Amino acid sequence: MALTPSLEHLSFQALFNALADAMLLVDNAGYVLLANSAAHALLGYTSGAICGLPVKTFIPELDLEQRNRQYDFGPSFINKNNKLIALTQDGRKLRVCVNLISPQAPGQSTVVITLYDDRRRQAEESLRISEERLHLAKRAAGLGVFDRDLTNNTLYWDERSRELWGLTPDEEITYEKFESYIHPDDRAGRYAALCRALDPASNGEYQTEFRITRKNDGAECWIATVGQITFEDNEPVRLLGLMRDITELKAAEQQSQERRKETEALVKRQIAVQTASAIAHEINQPLTAISAYSEVALHSLKNNNMSSKNLCRALEGCVAQAQRAGDTLHELLNFLRQSELVVEPTNINRLVKASIDIAKKDGYGGFHPLLKLEQDMPPVLCNPLQVQKVILNLVRNAIEAIHGSGVTAANITIKVRKMAKKNMALVTVQDSGPGFDNETAKRIFEPFFTTKSKGIGMGLAISRSLIEANGGKLWHDPDTKAGATIHFTLPFSP
Amino acid sequence: MSISEPTVFIVDDDAAVRDSLMLMIEQEGIAVKTFNNGDEFLAAYQPECLGCAVIDIRMPGMDGLQLQEELCQRNILLPIIFLTGHGDIPLSVKAVKAGAVDFLTKPVTRDALLSSVRSAILESKRLIAQLENGQDAKSRLADLTEREREVMALAVAGSPNKEIARRLGISHRTVEIHKSKIMHKTGAINLLDLARIANEGGL
Repeated sequence: MALTPSLEHLSFQALFNALADAMLLVDNAGYVLLANSAAHALLGYTSGAICGLPVKTFIPELDLEQRNRQYDFGPSFINKNNKLIALTQDGRKLRVCVNLISPQAPGQSTVVITLYDDRRRQAEESLRISEERLHLAKRAAGLGVFDRDLTNNTLYWDERSRELWGLTPDEEITYEKFESYIHPDDRAGRYAALCRALDPASNGEYQTEFRITRKNDGAECWIATVGQITFEDNEPVRLLGLMRDITELKAAEQQSQERRKETEALVKRQIAVQTASAIAHEINQPLTAISAYSEVALHSLKNNNMSSKNLCRALEGCVAQAQRAGDTLHELLNFLRQSELVVEPTNINRLVKASIDIAKKDGYGGFHPLLKLEQDMPPVLCNPLQVQKVILNLVRNAIEAIHGSGVTAANITIKVRKMAKKNMALVTVQDSGPGFDNETAKRIFEPFFTTKSKGIGMGLAISRSLIEANGGKLWHDPDTKAGATIHFTLPFSP
Repeated sequence: MSISEPTVFIVDDDAAVRDSLMLMIEQEGIAVKTFNNGDEFLAAYQPECLGCAVIDIRMPGMDGLQLQEELCQRNILLPIIFLTGHGDIPLSVKAVKAGAVDFLTKPVTRDALLSSVRSAILESKRLIAQLENGQDAKSRLADLTEREREVMALAVAGSPNKEIARRLGISHRTVEIHKSKIMHKTGAINLLDLARIANEGGL
C-alpha cells in the first residue's frame, strides 16, 4: 500500500495549520517558535505576527516551570485543562483552557500549548444539555415528533411516534399507511382538521384527536396531535407536529361522564319521587274521607239502619272532599308554574347549532348530525334555555333509540323551516332509529311512560309542556317511514 | 269516660278524615271520640279506658310515633292502630316494635279498619284484666312481713321447707308457721296460685 509514503509528504507545518484548535509551539525559554492560523485568529494577530514573541505576552499566568518540576515522572509531560486568561492583541481578556504537551525527546525541550476558547466550549455544553433536557421532556410527556413534507409527500416519524403506533423502528411509513391505521369513524374528522390548517387564510394550526388500531397488538388507542403548517408563497409546504397517547385520559373522561349521568338520573328520579309524594299526600286525605263516607253510605243503604241525616252527612262529605281534591291539584299546579316565563327574540339556527355542540360534548354517544337550516330565518320569540332543553331532550332520545336498537349509523337530521302562513318557525328532529309502533306512539307524551330501561318517562311530556309554554306546539309525525320524527313550532318575534 | 264501654279515639289533623271514620265506626255501635292532635288527646285521656286509638302517623307538631312514645312513658296501655299515607315500611316496623297493634294505609277500607278496631279492643280488655290482677296481687302481698317475703320467694322458686330453713338459718317449724301465714294473707289456694300472685304482683 502506498499510504505510508504519502504521509511523508505531509509537512508538519501544513498539518499544524490545518488544526481547528489554537496551538502554539514554545521553546525552552518561553518564546513562540510556531503558531497555527487558529491561534492567530483567536488572539487577534495577523498571520505570522505571533512567532518570536514570549508566550507570557498572551498568557501571563502560564507557568512553564511546571514542566521542569514534573519532568521526573515520565518521558512525556502533559498538563491539562488549566483555566487561564489569555490576552488578545487589542487587550481583550479571553477565558481559555490550556493544555500543555511536551513531546519529550532527549535533547529537545519544546512545549505544545493548545488553547480552547472556554466560551465556545460552554456554549457547546449548554446546547448539549438543552438538547438532553428537550429529549427528557419529550420522553416524560410521551411525545412523538412527526414531520411531513407536503411538496414531496414524505413523512418523518421519530422513534416515539413509531412506538405509539406499534411500528418497528425501521419500518417505512407513508401517508397512506398512516391513514389506514386510523379508526374509520375518525378519518373524516381528522381530514377536516387538516383541511382547516392547510387553508392559507388560517393560522396553520393543526389540532385533532382520533382513534388508531395499534399495529403490533391491534389495541385501540386515542392519539392527540398538535402541529403547525409552514406556508411558502401561500402554499402549504410542511407540517411539523407532536403526537401523544391520550387513551387513559379518554377513559377517565368517559368514566366521569358516566358517573355524572348516573347522578343526574338519580337526582331526576328523586325529583319525580318528591313531586309524586307531594301530590299523593295532598290527594290521599280527601280520598280517605271519600272512601270512608261512601262505605258508610253503602253500608247503611244495604242494612237500612241509618238516619237520613247521617246519610246526607256522608254523601255531602263525599262531594266536598272530591271538590277539595280538585282544588288542591289546581293549587299545586299553579304553584309549580309560578315562575314567570322570560322570552326574547332568538336566532333559532344558532340555538340549534349550540345545542348540537352541547350534545356532542356531553357524551350522549357518537352521532352524525345533519343540519338543514333554512337561511334568513327571522328571530323567534322564546326562552332560549327552555327550547335548548327541548332540542337536547329530542336529540338524546334519538341517540338512545338508535343505539338501543343496534343500528350502527346514528344519523340525526335537524331541519329548521319557515311556516309563512302561520308566522311560525318549524323545527324537525328525525332519527335513523327504529321509530315507534302505533301503540307506543299513542302513549309517548304520557307522563312516566318510557321505553328506556333507566328513563323516568318525563322527557317528551316536559318537552311538550315547555314548547306550549313558549307559544308553540310539539307533536310526533306518524307518517315517517323510517325512524322517529318529532316536530315543534315557535312563534316569530313580532 | 266509663271503663265498661269501649271507645275508639281518633287522632288525625284532617277534619274530613276524622268525621268519615267516626261515622264508619259509630255505625258499628262503638263509641268514638276525635282529636285534632296528640296534645288534645293527651289532655282529655283518663287512664285505664277500655278501647283503642286510631292515630295518623304524619301530623304537624307531635307526630304519631311521638304520641305513641308519650303514651308509653305515661304507662297508658292503649292499643294503637296507625294510619299512614304511603306504605312506609321502615316507619311501620318502628311503630310495630314499639307495640302498635296494626298499621293501615290510607284510604282504608271499612273491613280492614273495623277488624283492626275489634281486635284492638280485645287486646285492650286483656291488658286491663292483667292490670287489675296485678293491682289485686299487689294489695294481697302488701301485708307480708320482710321475713315472710323471703320465705315466699324461696318457696315459689321450688325450695323444700328443709332447704328454706337452712338458707334462712331458722327452724323447720318456723318455716311452716311463716308459710301458713303467707297462704292466709294472700288468699292463695296452693303453691301454684301463690306463684301466680307473686308474679302478677311484681315480686
